[in-house]
Amino acid sequence: MTRYILRRLLQAIPLLFIISLVLFILMQNMGDPLATMGGRKVTRTEDRIRLARQLGLDKPILVQYIYWLVGNDWAKTDLDGDGVAETPGSRKGVLRGDWGISLVNRQPVTKVIGERLSNTLLLMVTAEAVIILAALLIGIYSALHQYTAKDNIITATTFIFYSMPVFFFALLAMYIFAVNFKKWGLPYLPTVGMFEPAAGQTPVQVAWHMILPVATLSFGFIAGYSRYIRSTMLEALGQDYVRTAKAKGLPRPEVVYIHALKNASLPIVTIIALDLPFLLGGAIVTERIFGWPGMGRLFLDHVSRSDTAVVMGILMMIAVAVIVFQIIADVTYAWLDPRIRYK
Amino acid sequence: MSKYHRLLTWVSILIIASMLLAACGAPQATPEATEAEPPAAQPTEPPAATEAPTEPPAPAEKKVVTLIWTQEFDTLNPLYTQMWFVTALFPVYVCQAWWFDDQNSPIPNLVTEIPSVENGNISEDQRTITLKLRDDIVWSDGTPITSADFKFTYDMLMADSNAVASRSPYDLMESLETPDERTVVVTFPEPYAPWLSSLFSGSSGISIIPAHILQPVFDAEGTIDTAEWNTDPTVGCGPFVFEEWESGSFARFVANDNFWLGRPKLDELFFRFVPDDASMIAALVAGDGDVGTFFAYSDVPQLEEARITILNSFSGFNEGWYINMHPEKGNPALKDVKVRQALAYAFNREKLVQDLLLGLTEVAATDYDRSPWVDPTITPYPYDPDKAKALLAEAGWTDTNGDGTVDKDGIELVLKYGTTNREVRQDTQAVAQQDLAAVGIGTDLQSYDSDLFFSSYAEDGPSANFSLDIIEYSDAPNFPDPDSSVWRCSEIPTDDNPVGVNTSGLCDETLEALFVQQESQVDFKERQQTFYEITRYILDQAYWIGLWQDPDLFGFSDRMIDVKMSGAIPFFNIAEWDVTQ
Repeated sequence: MTRYILRRLLQAIPLLFIISLVLFILMQNMGDPLATMGGRKVTRTEDRIRLARQLGLDKPILVQYIYWLVGNDWAKTDLDGDGVAETPGSRKGVLRGDWGISLVNRQPVTKVIGERLSNTLLLMVTAEAVIILAALLIGIYSALHQYTAKDNIITATTFIFYSMPVFFFALLAMYIFAVNFKKWGLPYLPTVGMFEPAAGQTPVQVAWHMILPVATLSFGFIAGYSRYIRSTMLEALGQDYVRTAKAKGLPRPEVVYIHALKNASLPIVTIIALDLPFLLGGAIVTERIFGWPGMGRLFLDHVSRSDTAVVMGILMMIAVAVIVFQIIADVTYAWLDPRIRYK
Repeated sequence: MSKYHRLLTWVSILIIASMLLAACGAPQATPEATEAEPPAAQPTEPPAATEAPTEPPAPAEKKVVTLIWTQEFDTLNPLYTQMWFVTALFPVYVCQAWWFDDQNSPIPNLVTEIPSVENGNISEDQRTITLKLRDDIVWSDGTPITSADFKFTYDMLMADSNAVASRSPYDLMESLETPDERTVVVTFPEPYAPWLSSLFSGSSGISIIPAHILQPVFDAEGTIDTAEWNTDPTVGCGPFVFEEWESGSFARFVANDNFWLGRPKLDELFFRFVPDDASMIAALVAGDGDVGTFFAYSDVPQLEEARITILNSFSGFNEGWYINMHPEKGNPALKDVKVRQALAYAFNREKLVQDLLLGLTEVAATDYDRSPWVDPTITPYPYDPDKAKALLAEAGWTDTNGDGTVDKDGIELVLKYGTTNREVRQDTQAVAQQDLAAVGIGTDLQSYDSDLFFSSYAEDGPSANFSLDIIEYSDAPNFPDPDSSVWRCSEIPTDDNPVGVNTSGLCDETLEALFVQQESQVDFKERQQTFYEITRYILDQAYWIGLWQDPDLFGFSDRMIDVKMSGAIPFFNIAEWDVTQ
C-alpha cells in the first residue's frame, strides 16, 4: 500500500506541472491586470508602461511562467526603463516556496490565502458535516420506508430543494429570516457578515451568523446526497448477504448499519472524496451573498482583477488537494471493500 | 412500526426541529441584546467638584456607524491605489493639502491657505506653487507633520523600486523643495493648470505618508511595496485612525484623539465588505448597515420605503457613447457627422432616464456635465426620430431593399455596440437597439467583463482595439479638474503606443489645439472659456453622445445626521457626521 501511495504521488508531479502551465497560460487571457489599476479612470499610458515593467508583465508568457516557477533572482530586470537590466530579481519561485506577490495588494500570496482559508474551512466543513449527517439520516429513512407517504414527501421535497438555484435560496432565506422576521417583530437572523460590530467576533456571534450560509450550502447537497444514499441503500438491502444476515437473526440495526450501509457507502465515499478538495475553494455564490470572507470570494475578487499570482495559488492548492483526496479515497475504498487490494 | 423505526423517526424530527429552532430562536444574540454591551470609550463630562455623585453617570453609548462596502480595499497606502473604495476614504484616515467641499470648492486641510497668484503662493510665471503648512498638524501618534513628509512622499512616488499606482502629476514636476519645515515649493517646467485637483489633493491624488514610519522600511528593504503599513496604517492623519482590517470581512477606524481640527463626533467607523448588491440592499433595509453605495437605480424605491435617505454625489462621471473615429479602422459611415447626429436624435434618452433610471438623474449633454466647464447654452440633442431619418437620408443612407435597415452602396448600416456587463448598461443596449432600429440603424450588441473590456490595445481589449463602432462607458477626468487625455492625438493606441487611452481613435486638429491650450491656462476664467469651446465642439460634431449624468448613489439610514457629500471628495466632512441617540 505504501508503495502504491508513493507511486501515485510521484505520478502527480508531472501532472501538476502540466496543470500549472495550462492554468498560467489561461490566466494570461483572462484580462489585463493593469486595466483596472486606474480605478474608475483609464490607466494613464506612462503608468501602464512603468507598472508593466516593474511588475514583470511586459515579459513573454513563458518567461513569466518560468519566473513564477523558479523565481527571477538569477536574472536582472530593468526597473527604471532605461533599457538596461541592472536590478537583480527578488522572487524565488514556487519550487522554492515563494508563491509570489499579489498584484492587487502587494501582499505575499501565502498570506492572502492563509487569511481566508480558516474562514472557508469553518463554513465548508460545518456545511459538509451537516450535509453528510442529514443526507444519511434522510436517505436511510427513505430507503427503509420505500414508497410510503413519508418517502414520497421526502422525495418531492428533495427534488424541490435540488432544483432550486443557490442564489435564489440564499436571498429567499435572507429576506424571510433576516429582513421580514425583523419587520414582523420576530426573532431574526443577521443578513451578512461574521459578527455584529457592537458585539465583537465571539464564537456565539460567528455561529449565529453561520446559520443562513450553512443552510444555503447544505440544502441542495442534502437533497442530492440523500437521493443517492436512498438508491444505494435500496440496492444493498436487496442483496443476498443482507437476506442472509436477516436469516441469521442479526439485530436490525446491525443488518442496516453494518452490512447494508457499509457496502452502500462505497460509491458515496467516492463522491465525498471528490467534494472535499473543493471545500478549500469555498462557495463563491454563498460567500458573496452573505459577505462571508472565504476563498470563493477571494478567488472571484482576484480573477476579476486578473491577479495571476493569487489565482494560481488557489487553483494549484485545489489541484494538489484533488490528487491527495483521490489517494485517500482509494485507500478508504480498500478499507471498506476487502476485495480491493492495491499493489 | 418497530422500535428501531420509531427511534429513527424521532431522531430525524429532533434534528429538523433543532435546525428550525436554531433558525428562528436564540434571541439572546440579536442586535438589541448587544446594544447593552460594555460602556463606550467616549469620555464623559467629569462630575462636579463640589459634591460626589450619588450614582455613577450612565456611560455614553459608543457611536458606531456601519458602512456596507461592496468592494474590499486593495491597499490602504494612498500611493498604491486608485481604487474608488479606498480613495473615497482618504478624508477618513489620511490627509491632503486641501479637500473639496459640497460645492467642489477647495478647503484647506494641511495648508494655511489655498495657493493663488494673489496671496503670492503661485509665482508670476505660474510655474511655481508654494504650500504653506499649518503649524499644528500632527500624525495620530503625535509626531508633527512637516514638509519632510511631503518630500518623502514625492521621493517614494518617484523611486523605481516602488510600483506605485500612478506618478501623475509628480513625474511632470521639475522639482520639489522644502526650504523649511512649514514650506513645500513645487516647480513645473510649464504652467500646469490641473494642479488644484492633483497636487497632494483630490480623489485620485496623493495623500502624504508618514516618513518617520516608512523611511526605515525603505532604507532596510529598498522598497515600500510590501510594507506592513500598507495594510496596517495604524499611524494616520485623518479624523479617524485605522484600527483593524480582517481580509474579506471588515475594517475598523476609530476616532483620532490627536486630530488637529478636533475629535470627530463618531467613535468608530465599521466597514463591512458585502460584494453582492442584493445583500447590501437587504442589510440596509434590515438595519444592519447605516451607509451603502453603488446600488442600482432600481433598488432606490425599496430603500426609500425603508426610510433610507438617498444622496447623489456628482463626481464628474457621465455615461455616454464614444464613437469610433479611427481613420482606418472606424466604420466609414460614422465619419459623416450627419450619421453621428442621427444617432443622437434617434435615441430617446429622456425616456431612458425616466424609465430605466427612475428619473433620478438627467440626460448628459457633454462629458463635463455637472461641472463649471460646460458652455451653459448647451442642451442635449432632443429625441427626434424624423430628424434622424432625414439626416441619414441626407448622408445617403436609405432603406432601398425594404428590410428595415438603411443601406448605402450595398452596405447596410449595422453598428457594433459594446460595453461592460453592468446591468444598467446591458439594459441600455436593449433600449437603444429598439430606438435605433426604428430609424433603420441596426446594432450588433456586445458586452464584456469590465477588466476584459478595458484591456489595452496590446491586450486586444474591445474598448481599445477599434473593433467596436460605439463604445459605452463613463469616464471622468481628475474631477473637479477637466483635463483629459482621451481626446488627444498622441493617445491613440497603435502598435508603437499600445497603451494609449484615446479609444475613439479621433485626432481632430481643432480639438487637439484646444486641449493643448487649456493645459497651461492657470487662470480659471480663461480656461473655462476654452472648455466652453471644447464642449460645444464635441457636441456639434457628435464625437461623444451623452446618455446620463452618472452620480454615485449613497444611502444613509435615518439615524445619520450632519452628512454632506462632495462629488470630488465624498466624505470630506466625515468628522462632522453624527448619529441620533
